[in-house]
Amino acid sequence: MGKLHGENMSTAELLKNRSEFEEKLRKLLARPVLLTELDMFALPCGCSGITANIRGLEVDDLDVFEAQILPILKEMAEALDVKPSVTFARLVPGSSIVASVNWRTLCNRCYPEFAKGQGKTPRPDLYLLQFDKRK
Amino acid sequence: MKLFAPSPGHINSLKELLTENDKIYSIFMAGSPDYIGTGRSNLASPELEEIAEQVEYAHKKGVKVEMVLNSSCMGGRQLTPEGYRTNHWYIEKLVDLGADSIVAADPYLIEIMARDFDVEVVTSVLAFVDSPQKAEFFENLGTDSIVIDSNVNRHFDVLEAIRDSVDCELRLLVNEGCLYRCPFRYAHFNFFSHAFGPEPRPNVLDDYYYYKCLELRIVNPELIIKSPFIRPEDLKQYKEITDVFKIGGRTHFVDWILNCVNAYHNESYDGNLMDLLDCPKDLKDLFYIPNKSLDGVLEQQWMNCKKVCKQCGYCQKLTKKVTQVYEKGGTEFETLKPWENYTVKT
Repeated sequence: MGKLHGENMSTAELLKNRSEFEEKLRKLLARPVLLTELDMFALPCGCSGITANIRGLEVDDLDVFEAQILPILKEMAEALDVKPSVTFARLVPGSSIVASVNWRTLCNRCYPEFAKGQGKTPRPDLYLLQFDKRK
Repeated sequence: MKLFAPSPGHINSLKELLTENDKIYSIFMAGSPDYIGTGRSNLASPELEEIAEQVEYAHKKGVKVEMVLNSSCMGGRQLTPEGYRTNHWYIEKLVDLGADSIVAADPYLIEIMARDFDVEVVTSVLAFVDSPQKAEFFENLGTDSIVIDSNVNRHFDVLEAIRDSVDCELRLLVNEGCLYRCPFRYAHFNFFSHAFGPEPRPNVLDDYYYYKCLELRIVNPELIIKSPFIRPEDLKQYKEITDVFKIGGRTHFVDWILNCVNAYHNESYDGNLMDLLDCPKDLKDLFYIPNKSLDGVLEQQWMNCKKVCKQCGYCQKLTKKVTQVYEKGGTEFETLKPWENYTVKT
């Protein structure tokens, strides 16, 4: 297991963070969204991060409450000691459905794909919430 | 009572399932998607040898085996000479290895099986038999049994009319849990039929229909209450229609299936209604609806309901009264709070 704030990270921490993130979204949106799965991931390319599969969250929520959601996303990343270069929602293209929220520390190979994209939805299935452009 | 129970499709799960063989009349399972798919997702795709092994085991335990070939869409392949030969060959193999019954949704397949094979032919719930006229049509095609469209599970006038119109066996699917008059029904089952049917299979990342279904119910759990499930306690109200009941859920763990088998066998369940519903299974970690809190509702309201929800409001009030939401789920602080606490869009 990796380290979390100097301690050994445990699945109990993940469970706690899943619950807290869900609770914050519920309070903000005033409905019981369901965070069905919270994962930390590492990809063969070198990207790493967190994925939260969420049901009951819609694109409109991101649009309307973006200013309120961004700090919650930041807190989540900090709680799990992830420094995301990009945070995005994955959508079911063409629909109102948010399938997941992803915090990703991009590797050098994947960074250009995001950096070259334009606007909030560089791909039909992505809704960018935060992106740190490299200097 | 004849109880049909789902089997995930491999021998180990069947052995576990049939530890309760005295409560199960027949199991049902999918075969290989390479020949004819099914209208739902599958965990296993047993080849003929594996099916034969499971048929033999079930028969030793005194339980019948039903094979499910109920694609709602076969893309027209069934009407080609090659498709006809393949389907015919596959059905013949299933009959030869001892399958007791075969379920299909396509009228053409039903007619072929009834004419050419010595096997009990079952019309799937995915043939959407929701009227006496449709029931008569399938009976005339040669079906031995009809699984009635679950949308009419609470329309007793329609159920009685179907019963009075045909002589074949009638079955009711008790725990599907889909949206009442679900607008995704045809598109979703057609999608499953291709995703879990012969090649080419669509490489789909997200199931729009499922996600949308979940979203609608999270926003408004009244849609769960209005779903046409039949509670174990309410089976007795259906005894004048049929005594043959089918439990859905072949993608669940055997433990879940056995919980349902016991609930429906005992005609009673003291727990979360969501434990019994095949779909939407993800929401059992969100909502707690005490099954016993719905005692008497079928007789008092649903049996005679006109289904004009906007004028009635009964289910809306009931939802507020009985639905609870898990908070801090998965932690030591997990609690249940009334759903009413949330301001919801309805």
